[in-house]
Amino acid sequence: MTGETDTIVHIDNVTKRFGSVVAVDRLDMRIMAGEFVTFLGPSGCGKSTTLRMLGGFETPDEGRIVLDGVDVTRKPPNRRDVNMVFQDYALFPHMTVGQNIAFGLELKGEPRDEIDRRMGELLDFLQLSGFRDRSPDQLSGGQRQRVALARALAPDPKLLLLDEPLGALDAKLRGQVQIELKDIQKRTGKTFFFVTHDQEEALTMSDRVVVMNAGRVEQAGTPEDLYFRPESRFVAEFIGETNLIEGTVRGIDKDTIAIDWNGTDVRGVAHGHQPCEGDTVTASLRLENVMCHPRKPARMNAIEGRIVSKLFKGSRTSLDIRIGGHQNTVIHAYMDAGNAAQVADDRLWISWEPERLTVLRD
Amino acid sequence: MTRHTRIVMSVVYWAFVIYLFVPLALMVTMGFKDSKFIGFPIRAWTFDWYATVMQDTQVLAVFGYSMAIAVSTTVLSLIIGTWMATFLGPNMFRGKAIVFALACLPAVIPGIISAIALRIFARLIDIEPGMLAIILGHTVHNVPFVALVVMARLSTQPKSHIEAARDLGADSIVAFFRVTLPYLKPALIGAGIFCMLLSFDDFVRAFFLGGYQPTLPVLIFAKLRSGMSPEINAISTIVLIMTAILGLWAERSMRRLNKGS
Repeated sequence: MTGETDTIVHIDNVTKRFGSVVAVDRLDMRIMAGEFVTFLGPSGCGKSTTLRMLGGFETPDEGRIVLDGVDVTRKPPNRRDVNMVFQDYALFPHMTVGQNIAFGLELKGEPRDEIDRRMGELLDFLQLSGFRDRSPDQLSGGQRQRVALARALAPDPKLLLLDEPLGALDAKLRGQVQIELKDIQKRTGKTFFFVTHDQEEALTMSDRVVVMNAGRVEQAGTPEDLYFRPESRFVAEFIGETNLIEGTVRGIDKDTIAIDWNGTDVRGVAHGHQPCEGDTVTASLRLENVMCHPRKPARMNAIEGRIVSKLFKGSRTSLDIRIGGHQNTVIHAYMDAGNAAQVADDRLWISWEPERLTVLRD
Repeated sequence: MTRHTRIVMSVVYWAFVIYLFVPLALMVTMGFKDSKFIGFPIRAWTFDWYATVMQDTQVLAVFGYSMAIAVSTTVLSLIIGTWMATFLGPNMFRGKAIVFALACLPAVIPGIISAIALRIFARLIDIEPGMLAIILGHTVHNVPFVALVVMARLSTQPKSHIEAARDLGADSIVAFFRVTLPYLKPALIGAGIFCMLLSFDDFVRAFFLGGYQPTLPVLIFAKLRSGMSPEINAISTIVLIMTAILGLWAERSMRRLNKGS
């Protein structure tokens, strides 16, 4: 069997309103077993509400939530096989690390020796072996985060919810924990539903990223899809840095779209939609996809420009290039430090591969 | 602050401390005087009055009676007050402010008014004057204090604690007993001791609601009417030491409570 059996969660056309505000608007999404899926978006986009509906802390106004074939839409949190790592970890302060981890297993009615076996396993797995009898307030942020993870994994849930669990960690630790989390997810084979507003977290860890905006899905895809092939202006701007080019569609052939950009003919592509001739469109060009040449290159999308600022940033150099014949149009570009030295002059040519200029849905 | 005002402030402070403690010190001292009459000079010292108290079956019985009332009152007040706090704390409903004000009223109504009202009410619903009536009277008075202290503590508990308990399989009752109640522990200890002291110390309500059996303050009052005796000083000293220890302990738990966790 395919498809159906691999779906662990089906968010079936779910809508949630708070008063007159639509927090989640007809969300329809399948989450596959063993997947690391991240809901990414600015605050108020509906990602946390979606997570809380999966956890049972909010009830959808419309639609269903189906967990492993069972409709759990109206089941309270204690009656669904879903566990959560809270943003503030929510460790019980009056219990030791061990008691915190055992809590869910005790409520499941597991026998004591089974609880001890499972706890030992988790403490080992998350490198917490020495901390079993410590109180949570004797731990560092990273350790507390691992205890929260162990506690949520202990009852062996079908789906693990993670609500911005790295938000409370300092920047240096965050990078390390991202790698750990991804590793833990792989080794346990659990389905992780991760919520964050941090695009770097989303790109580093996820198998699939769902970008949400104003209660709806802007785009869902692999991190590479979202970064290199954004479909909407929102995604292009929210993830990474980019140049936005506005122009009119002049013609479409089978591979590329020709755009008239203030009189300059440029070529790009579109993903997930097809613009029509005569449309006014916005297109995205990532900074690192802009190539610089000292002389006019023999290729498409070659445009002459003048460097207005050049900032050395160690491994790369950041350039602002004013495009000839375009008033106030500046293209931002990154160059390797070595290549940047070649372009000694103020004047240069830029170009890009047509598939790197992505025409966006408006 | 200038040096001048600092001196004035400290003089005022020490004057206050002396005013507070000299009467207490006098009372304690007279309990050790080997004579029936209270007053200076003290020619001989003795522990006899303490021995008398320890052998006075009436005093011991009354002490037990007052303790039983204080403990029952405390248990009842903690249960009702905590229930009220958990009900009033997180739920928002119309008229919440009014309900809350009404619930707090017994704490500020003058004791004498509330005592007379309770006396009339107890007769109306056929509760005999005595232990039960006193316990009910004290509980009405104490519940608002418990509710206020517990609500203050409850408001510092992160919502995620209860959600985490629910998430891990607890229904709302299990979550309350295994997560919320332990979190409230310092507040409950503090409020409980405060209730014990309020009840043990109360004269007016016990006087109006009591039957033939007096509580300790009522007994001391009765003994005073038949003349001052160092035995009363001895009883008072014992009560003073016990309540001071309890009170300081309560104060400590309240301080821990305010520091959080």
